[in-house]
Amino acid sequence: MENQPKYLERVERLKSKLFETYPEIDLEDAKLLTQSFLETQGEALVTRKAKAFLKQCREKSVKIWDDELIVGNSGSKIRGGILSADVCWSVLDRELDTINTREYDKFRLLPEDKKDFEEMIRPYWKGRSNYEEWLARIPADVAALRDNGALYIDKKAVRGWGEVTAGYEWFINNGVEGLRKRILERKAKLDATVPGDYEKEVYLDALLTVCEGLETLAERYAIEAERLAAKEQEPRRKAELLEIAQVCRRVPAYPARSFREAMQSFYFYQISIFMEQNAAAYNPGRMDQYLYPYYKADLEAGRITPEEAQELFDCLWVKFSEQCLFQDAKSAEYASGYPMFQNLCAGGVDKMGRDAVNDLSYMIIQATMDTQLYQPSLSVRYNMAKNPNSFLRKIVELMVMGTGFPAFHNDEVGIRMLMNKGIPLREALDWNPGGCVETNLAGKLRAYSALADINLGSVMEFVLLNGKCRKTGALAGAQTGDPASFATFGDFLNAVKAQLRYVIKVVVKASHIIDEICMGRPVPALSVSFEECIENAKDYAWGGAKYNTGNGIICIGVSDLINSVAAVKHLVYDTKSVSMKQLLAALASDFEDAPEILKACKEAPKYGNDDQYADSLAAELFAYIADEIESYRSKFGVMTPGILPVSGNTPFGVEVGALPSGRRAGKPLADGVSPNGGTDVNGPTAVLKSVANIPHDRFVQGTLLNMKLDPQMANSENGIRQIMAMLRTLCSLGVYHVQFNVVDQKKLLEAQAHPEEYRNLLVRVAGYTAFFVELGKEVQDDIIARTVQREGSCASCG
Amino acid sequence: MAETIRGVVLRIERSSIYDGDGLRTVLFLKGCPLRCLWCSTPESQRGEPERGISREKCAACGKCVGICPGGALSLSGGRISFDRSRCTGCFECARICPAGAVEVYGREMSAEEVVREISKDELFFFHSGGGITISGGEPFAQPRFVRAVLEGCSRRGIDCAVESSFLAGWEDIEMILPFVSLVHTDIKHPNPAKHKALTGVENGIILENILRADRSPHKFGFVIRTPLIPDVNDSDGDIAALAEFVRKLKKLRFMEFLAYHRLGTETYKRLDMSYALREIETPKSEYMERKARLFKELTGLPVKVNGRDIL
Repeated sequence: MENQPKYLERVERLKSKLFETYPEIDLEDAKLLTQSFLETQGEALVTRKAKAFLKQCREKSVKIWDDELIVGNSGSKIRGGILSADVCWSVLDRELDTINTREYDKFRLLPEDKKDFEEMIRPYWKGRSNYEEWLARIPADVAALRDNGALYIDKKAVRGWGEVTAGYEWFINNGVEGLRKRILERKAKLDATVPGDYEKEVYLDALLTVCEGLETLAERYAIEAERLAAKEQEPRRKAELLEIAQVCRRVPAYPARSFREAMQSFYFYQISIFMEQNAAAYNPGRMDQYLYPYYKADLEAGRITPEEAQELFDCLWVKFSEQCLFQDAKSAEYASGYPMFQNLCAGGVDKMGRDAVNDLSYMIIQATMDTQLYQPSLSVRYNMAKNPNSFLRKIVELMVMGTGFPAFHNDEVGIRMLMNKGIPLREALDWNPGGCVETNLAGKLRAYSALADINLGSVMEFVLLNGKCRKTGALAGAQTGDPASFATFGDFLNAVKAQLRYVIKVVVKASHIIDEICMGRPVPALSVSFEECIENAKDYAWGGAKYNTGNGIICIGVSDLINSVAAVKHLVYDTKSVSMKQLLAALASDFEDAPEILKACKEAPKYGNDDQYADSLAAELFAYIADEIESYRSKFGVMTPGILPVSGNTPFGVEVGALPSGRRAGKPLADGVSPNGGTDVNGPTAVLKSVANIPHDRFVQGTLLNMKLDPQMANSENGIRQIMAMLRTLCSLGVYHVQFNVVDQKKLLEAQAHPEEYRNLLVRVAGYTAFFVELGKEVQDDIIARTVQREGSCASCG
Repeated sequence: MAETIRGVVLRIERSSIYDGDGLRTVLFLKGCPLRCLWCSTPESQRGEPERGISREKCAACGKCVGICPGGALSLSGGRISFDRSRCTGCFECARICPAGAVEVYGREMSAEEVVREISKDELFFFHSGGGITISGGEPFAQPRFVRAVLEGCSRRGIDCAVESSFLAGWEDIEMILPFVSLVHTDIKHPNPAKHKALTGVENGIILENILRADRSPHKFGFVIRTPLIPDVNDSDGDIAALAEFVRKLKKLRFMEFLAYHRLGTETYKRLDMSYALREIETPKSEYMERKARLFKELTGLPVKVNGRDIL
């Protein structure tokens, strides 16, 4: 790193400060919210929410850390877990004594905060939160699926909205001044004698309150910067602080005039919507597009250099990593690592369908290379026809660093997904990846993109046990009959489909209930950047956005389902080498007494090997699932399927017994659309060919593919070019997404030391692929020696 | 491909980046006339399918002994013994083994089947400029099969390459050359006597075939490879002799030095074969680069080490 640019010194200092900070529960916002609610009893809910936001903006701590250029923090701590008291105060109540000792995503809780929680927050919110509403209303069949590990559906009730891309471009370009003008114009058209207009007036007034809050917050940062500048001895930092003050006086109150102002305006809005409700996946979206006009103008006028712009990006990246998602212990299991999923995107096409890659697209990727942090969740839209090879090359250069970033998205499939949500092509061209791999449209689209996760391993278990869960013995699925009575494979497949149909139907019902509860969960600070929310005088939560779809229903255990169905077809019906009775008995004992059946199950055709036997079942089953989910509507729009596990495949696996695929009880399920670990033995091209059998563009909330990258591929010039070719082929095949994990030297050394944890790690040896842990020591040493040591510490989703 | 031509295939390996341009599918065949001491794929040496056993996995349950029709297997002292001369090649032992300890190396396939397998990656070939590479064993040992596969691939617009020792009859070689754009061949040692000591055969026919192919009107490129084995074929004199030969080749694309490795040792154990070079360690990259530079100084030709250009 001897040639590293000067600006990286600042970035390194900012990063160390972040790493030194242990996440803490941050109750300041929740206390202000509660105080405000005590002051506004009797007023409309949305008014109370807006006034609470204003109070937070007026009274919250305002701090600027050393070295910062982009400022702002949604709470009072560098790494704070903010509690959304009105949504889910009781989550913290249940975990008051364990939140710092739980397995995933620990938070320190200071004694004074605990006291405030017990004396102020709990007494007010008890019986008033969305989470309690949900717990009170959950129907018995939904609870049966949830409690038997077949469904994970509480996550939306334990944190705020999220899963949205706000109208950042509109916000930055117009400033609060422009928004207020629009609100007032809309208000002028109201007539208090027309039914419904009173509610609209109340709503628009709430938005005006939010506007005041946004201005107030920025002004307070300007004052703080001036205060620090006055006592700053070092002239350079003093000048920086004065510039910060100047920027904060301008934005977001007024339209941004420079790149720096545009970025600061963005970040003020970003922290504001977090403050309103802490949630995952407030997606910054297409930042290379909405910041570019500012950068171009600055560059042409000589107001900025590329290095200065890069420094600002890097500083912003550190800010993105400050936020810590606060959620309950169970949800943390399903998505661990304080995952904010602030999905930020580069590349793709513009609103006219032309190449949209610009200088900022490269800088955005460079910022992740520079900072190597886990936020933002960096995505690329790669349009094979329109984007240049140099952009693809930059993408691959980041991929081979082994950080798991960027998430690579096939642009054409993303566009089709949006269209399949009912959005016209004209606007679908402007889509952005959201959260994990979901699809979104900035400032225009409302839905929970990942409302509930269905455990497909449980679905298979219900087929085998006539609706029962193996672990609990309880009836949770549909009663589709004793599988030993299924005479043909067709009968068996029908039972699989019947179970899928049943579970999907129950989830849709649950989704409608959550939609209903969310009507009482307005978010005026988020809504203010949605043009149509102003136009319709209707909150985001109430369907005010231009487009609204049904919530996302997510499938987990894709490969487990395919391989289990393929194994039953192969063993029981086609070769008749194992009877259904023998298979059921073997599964009941987790194969303990039936090693030969376990072997037969493992040797049955497997998804991920470009083998039509398994792959045609993949196509049939997932077209069926998409058909089923799409056949339902919510009050907002068509229900939407997706395949993204975050980390849910591991806790779901714990709930599922042995499966016909040869997967043993309690082991993790496969992630996303990836094959089960260690069952794909024909290399990456075969994986992509298999994966292409799933109808990606119909799973409009995205499909996630994780692939391991052989170290030899990642550390040679030829390898980089071949990865580029592989990604182009992925696009031709219509696969939606991939992210690579590089098997580096560190991982191989770990595998050598702890073979039991790396049983599935496949490596290329001499013209063949083998499980690393099964190779002799000297062969392992040679494989380790041919890999080059690389540094890398961050992780993306999945 | 009017008639069905069958060959013995060791395995088909997809997405290789080391055996020619782009992403390639490598067809490994069974059967090789050489017995190189450092051979990393000993399972490719014999022409017919055969079995190997992983002793770590074998639980000595004896199930294979009971099922073997030729009586080739026996169990004594907690260990399965194998008498190759009595093996009928039915491989029932692999099917029945509950531990998955028995591995079968090689199977018969028709040229059509092979071409169908190769075609599975044609989209990857299109985007990467890749194709098929036929390797061994020795491809020229099954010339009619190899020609049928290459014809089938060529008709589909798939780029073809071979890797060969060039120990074969000239007619068999000439049958193949019209279909390929690239030929990889090894020169294991420039000296005939040393070559015989290391591989079991002299290098006269090999070198002659290489020169003849180089003079032929076919439009392929040559990649000459030498696996560098410390103290075996790596003296400065060896490199100089190698340089003198390679300089003559008009079709040469580049010279490549490969670092000796022990990645095949596991397979030797499974085949109950002994490995002669156990004590030699994999050379360091600085060493490889030094040798490659020497070659480059002598010839001025393009040189690579393990796929990496030496500038």
